[in-house]
Amino acid sequence: MRERRVVITACSAISPIGHGKEQIVESLVKGVSGVKTLREDDLISPFIHSRVYGTVSYPIAYNFSRQHRKTMGPVAYYACQVAKDVLEQAGLPSEFVTGGRLGIAFGSIHGSPTVQRDIYRIFFEAKDKASFQGIGAVDYLKSMVHTTAVNISKMFGITGRIISSGTACTTSSQSIGYGYEAVKYGLQDAMICGGADEYDTITVAVFDNLLACSTAFNDQPQQTPRPFDKARDGLVVAEGAGAVMLEEYEFAKKRGATILAEVIGFACNSNGGDLILPNLGGITKTLQLSLDNAGINAQEIDLVSAHATATKMGDIIEAQAAGAVFGPEPYVVALKSYMGHTMAACGAIETVLTLYMMQEGFIAPTLNLEDIDERCAMIHHVQKLIEQKVSTAAIQNFAFGGVNTSLLIRKLT
Amino acid sequence: MTRQDIEREVRDIFLRAFEIENPEMDVNLREAYGFDSIDAIELLLEIEKFLDSELTQEEKKQAMDIRTMKQIIDYIEVLAAKRKTLPEKNK
Repeated sequence: MRERRVVITACSAISPIGHGKEQIVESLVKGVSGVKTLREDDLISPFIHSRVYGTVSYPIAYNFSRQHRKTMGPVAYYACQVAKDVLEQAGLPSEFVTGGRLGIAFGSIHGSPTVQRDIYRIFFEAKDKASFQGIGAVDYLKSMVHTTAVNISKMFGITGRIISSGTACTTSSQSIGYGYEAVKYGLQDAMICGGADEYDTITVAVFDNLLACSTAFNDQPQQTPRPFDKARDGLVVAEGAGAVMLEEYEFAKKRGATILAEVIGFACNSNGGDLILPNLGGITKTLQLSLDNAGINAQEIDLVSAHATATKMGDIIEAQAAGAVFGPEPYVVALKSYMGHTMAACGAIETVLTLYMMQEGFIAPTLNLEDIDERCAMIHHVQKLIEQKVSTAAIQNFAFGGVNTSLLIRKLT
Repeated sequence: MTRQDIEREVRDIFLRAFEIENPEMDVNLREAYGFDSIDAIELLLEIEKFLDSELTQEEKKQAMDIRTMKQIIDYIEVLAAKRKTLPEKNK
């Protein structure tokens, strides 16, 4: 099968540290954290030990008509906004957008938990048939697992293929990877790829029960998470969305699109075993497979965007794997240190932030990394902001269920 | 309940539930205002609330051919007549 080159022509993120390039770059440069105190939800929040959350606390001026809003839960608002941003930036002709050669790869970890919670409240509290009418005709459309992808398709009239991964923390890295493959092998000429997740205390409760959440910095939210730091004590759940526009290289070049970077390789594998514990063999293999897929040597990687959730074991295993495959030279940054773990959005958001750093010629330090855990010391951590040209970057993500991804991007010269 | 009462209620539903202000009487609602199948299902629920009476499956199926405001009002008029006496709150 003929392989085509794939480039990124637009990107956007809604994150706890800002919406769009200007705000996010400013936060990265100034070392601003988006982690805040957990909001009360009148449900389960009082019982959660972890009192921190990566929060989108600024207003977003949505301009969606009722025709679109009626099938959207909060997660779809995030998704449609970043999709709108990348469509506007990319400037694709409208007949192309609706013509079938543009597809969508977009997901969330489980649709809209806010809407699901409202449905279950009615389900458990309804006393008679009339109360069941409270479950609206559109509640499934708002809450289903592929709600982000199909609301994007509806809002912009996109008629190409839909891929909607729901693989927890690798959801949007898979979106970009599978979108890349769809364009590379000629199935589509362009793909909007990304992921989103909304504010959700149930996700915090799940990780809290697994003893995976940060609890030692409840009074100083911005001091956590602390990837690779000796004092790290777990992840911080967060909300947000990220999206990129992928296009076939010749098509993008011909129409004069701004090319932010080329996607040069992608790999995804599974650990084939434990669904929770990080797996050194599986992760190492993924990183190596992505180099093989790109046909480059490890020495060509300048920057690694680590998954690094700040759990005790996860960070050690990841550092070992990155050290074994990429060696001690490439800079490593853990971008979750700025905002926590945005779940389905993290792979896309971290790709967007890596693109911003590539464009602006700097590498942000891993926030809160004050005392490197010696078990994570075999890689080149960034502890201070540095001016640095980045040519080739690896973005790695790992998920519950034992799913691993590695995406390689390169700046065109 | 007069036809005017029904019209007033339907206009109120359109504004409140569908953000459509003063829809014209004889235009195709889908073409003019993007009123789609999801809105139609929601409208049936609103009609049930208005009449304070559940619609039968047969009655709901009859609504599938409705395209205009006038047809909606005709439809409700027939339903109301069938129910003859309306509950106190809608009188």
